[in-house]
Amino acid sequence: MTRILGVLGLLVVLYTALIASDPNAGKPDNLISVANLQGRYGVVTLGAALVIIVGGIDLSLGAVVGCAAVLFGILMNDGVHPYAAVPLVILFGALVGFTNGLLITRLKVQPFLVTLCGMFIFRGVAQLLAQPMRGTVGMTSVIEAHREFNDPLRTLRYLLIGKAPTDGELLFPAQFILLIILAGVVGFFLHRTAYGRYWYAIGHSELAAKYAGVNVNRQRVSVYVVCSALGSLGGILLFLDAPSLQSNNAGYTWELYAILGAVLGGCSLRGGEGTAVGMVLGAMVLPVLENLVNFRGDKSDVIPVVIGLTLLFGAIVDELIRQRSRVHR
Amino acid sequence: MACQFAAAGYFVNNLYELPDPSPIIAGDAVFRLLRLFVVVALTAVLASLPACSNKSGKIKIAVVTNCTAEFWSIAEAGATKAAKEADVDLQFRQLEKDFDAAAQMQIVDSWVKQGVNGIAVSVIDPKNQTEDLTRIAKKVPLITMDNDADQTGRLCYIGINNYEAGKAVGRLVKKALPKGGTVAIFIGDTKSANGTARTQGVLDELAGQKDATGTPANHPVNPKLAGKQFGQYFLVDGEAKQDGSPTNASPVAGAVLGRVQGLPDLCMIGLYAYNPPAIMSEARSRGMLKDIKVVGFDENWLTLKGIADGEVIGTVVQDPFMYGYKSVEALAAKARGDDSKLVKDPIPYRVVTKDGGPDETINGLLVKFPKVADFEAKLRDDLKSVGK
Repeated sequence: MTRILGVLGLLVVLYTALIASDPNAGKPDNLISVANLQGRYGVVTLGAALVIIVGGIDLSLGAVVGCAAVLFGILMNDGVHPYAAVPLVILFGALVGFTNGLLITRLKVQPFLVTLCGMFIFRGVAQLLAQPMRGTVGMTSVIEAHREFNDPLRTLRYLLIGKAPTDGELLFPAQFILLIILAGVVGFFLHRTAYGRYWYAIGHSELAAKYAGVNVNRQRVSVYVVCSALGSLGGILLFLDAPSLQSNNAGYTWELYAILGAVLGGCSLRGGEGTAVGMVLGAMVLPVLENLVNFRGDKSDVIPVVIGLTLLFGAIVDELIRQRSRVHR
Repeated sequence: MACQFAAAGYFVNNLYELPDPSPIIAGDAVFRLLRLFVVVALTAVLASLPACSNKSGKIKIAVVTNCTAEFWSIAEAGATKAAKEADVDLQFRQLEKDFDAAAQMQIVDSWVKQGVNGIAVSVIDPKNQTEDLTRIAKKVPLITMDNDADQTGRLCYIGINNYEAGKAVGRLVKKALPKGGTVAIFIGDTKSANGTARTQGVLDELAGQKDATGTPANHPVNPKLAGKQFGQYFLVDGEAKQDGSPTNASPVAGAVLGRVQGLPDLCMIGLYAYNPPAIMSEARSRGMLKDIKVVGFDENWLTLKGIADGEVIGTVVQDPFMYGYKSVEALAAKARGDDSKLVKDPIPYRVVTKDGGPDETINGLLVKFPKVADFEAKLRDDLKSVGK
C-alpha cells in the first residue's frame, strides 16, 4: 500500500491541477481522451514492469512498439487480413522477447546490452520494412490499397481504441479498459500464483531462487516474452489510434515512459518489488501531465522542463514518504 | 506551475516539521493518516489555486506546427503580433516530436476539448490526417498553413504555391550550374504536401518537363554512385533525402557529401529551413564548402548569412511571419463572424540572393527578388515590432 500511496497522491494532485486549469478539462470527453492514452502507455508499462520485477530491463521496448506498428501496417498493405495481422504481430513481439530472453539467460549477456542493441536493431528493421511506403504507414493508406479492409479495420479500431467507425470520434476509453483487463491478468499471475512468487524471488535474489528450486532461466525468458508481446500489442494500438506513423520515430522513447511508469508505480529497479495496481497508476501519470500542459497553454520551450520537474518532484515526495514509512515500520 | 510547486513544497515541509508520533500509539497508523493528510492538503491547495494560464474570457486561437524550428519561431512572432492587434489569446505550439502526426493530433484534440475558437495546423501527413481533421473542422474553424490538406473542409490554406517555389529553386540551381552537374536534395519530410510539391518543382525545372520521373543512371564520373538523370543533372540516389527531423539533418547531409566528395559541379539543395545550414556546416567541416554550390529554402539566419558571405547561391523564401500573422488574423476575424480575412490566394514566394534583382512575373505570379541585406533588415524589423 505504501508503495502506491506516493503515485496515488501525485495523480490526485495532477488531476486536480488539470481540472482547475480549465473548465473544459474535467469534462468526460477530455478525461476519456486522457484515459485512452493512459491505457496505451499502461499496456507497455505492464511488460516493462514485469521485466523490472525479475531484475531485468528492456530498452528495446519502444523500438519493438514502433516496429510492431510498422509491421502491422505493412502486413495489411501486403494483403494480410487485419484480424490475422493482429496475432501475427503479437507473435512477432513474443519472438523478440524469446530471443532477448535466450541471449540474457543462455549466453549471459547483460540485459541492458541485449535490449540496447535490440533498440537499434528493431528501429532499423522498422525503417527497412517501411521503405516501400516511404517510411510512413497509416490506416488510410492501408484502406486505399485494400478497400476490403475498411470495415474490419474500423471495427478493430472501435473495439481496441473506442473510436467511432464512421468519423474516428473517440467514444469510450477502450485502451484503458484493455489495460484494466490485462492488469487484472498480470495481477492474478503476480499476486495469486506461484509464477508471481517466482518472479519476486528472482528479483530479490536470483541465487536464492535457484537454490529454492525455481527454474530461473525459464521464468526470465517467459517474462521477456510477455514484455515484448505487450509491446507489440502497444504497437497495434498505436497504429490504430494514430493518423499515421513514421518508422523512424514511432514508439520513440516509449521504453523510458514505460520504465518511468513502472518505477513511479512502485517497482524497484533493483528488482523484486511492484504491484499490478501500482503499474496502472504509474502509467497514468505522464498522459495526465501531458494533457495538463496542453490545457494550460504552456509554451513549447518550457513543456519538457515542466514535465521533467513535475515527475522529479513526484518521485522525490514518493521516496520521502517511503523512507519515512520504513523508519516507523 | 510554479505556484503549484510552491504549494506542494510547503506541505511537504510541514509534514517534516510535525513532531514524530509516539511509537506507543501505533506509529504506522499515525503515518498513514499523515500521508493521507499530505495528499488531501495538496489537493485542497491546488484546487483553490487559480490556474496560471490566461482565463481572460477572450477569444482563444491555437496554432500547431509540424516540428520545432527557427522558421516557426518567426511564424510565432507574426502570430503574436496578430493576437495583440486582434485582442485574442494565442496558444502557439511548436511540435516537440518532429513530424509526428499522432502527437500533433493529440494536441489539436485537446484544444478542441478546451473549446478554442479557431485552430491553424501545418499538416504533416495530409492523406492519413484527413479523416481526423475533417472531424475537427466540423467542430472548430480550422485553417491549414504551410502544409495543406485540402479535403478536410478547412476554411482556407495559408501558404505559397510550393510547386512553383520548387521550380524557382530549380532555376537557382541551373543558374549556379548552367552546364549541368550533380545535385542532391535534402528535405525533412518527403510525403508532406509541401515536400512533395517542392521536390517535384525542382525536378521538373531541372528536367525541363512536367511530372519528371528521371532516368535511372550511374554517375558518369563515379559509376558506383547510383541515381537518376534529370536533364543535364544527376540526382544522387534518384530521390530527395529525407531526414525526418532537424536533429538528423546534419548526419544525412554529411553522409551524402562524403559520397560525392571530389566530384565536379556539385550543388546541394536544402528544401526545409534547417537543411541549408546543416549542409553548410557539414561541408565546412569536410573542407568542401568552396567546392559546392548550395541552394536553400526559407529564411534561416544562417542561410541568409551564407548568402551574404557568398557561400549560398540564394534561397526561396516563404513568409513564415505572414503565415503566423494571417492565420491568427483570419481565425480571430472568423470567430467574430467576419470571413473577409480568410486567405484566398497563395502567398507569393520570393527569391533572396546577394545582389537581388527586379520583380518578374513568372507563371502568372509576381515574384520579388530582394537583396539579402534588405530582406534580413526587414525581417529583423518585423520581429522587433512584436516585442517580448
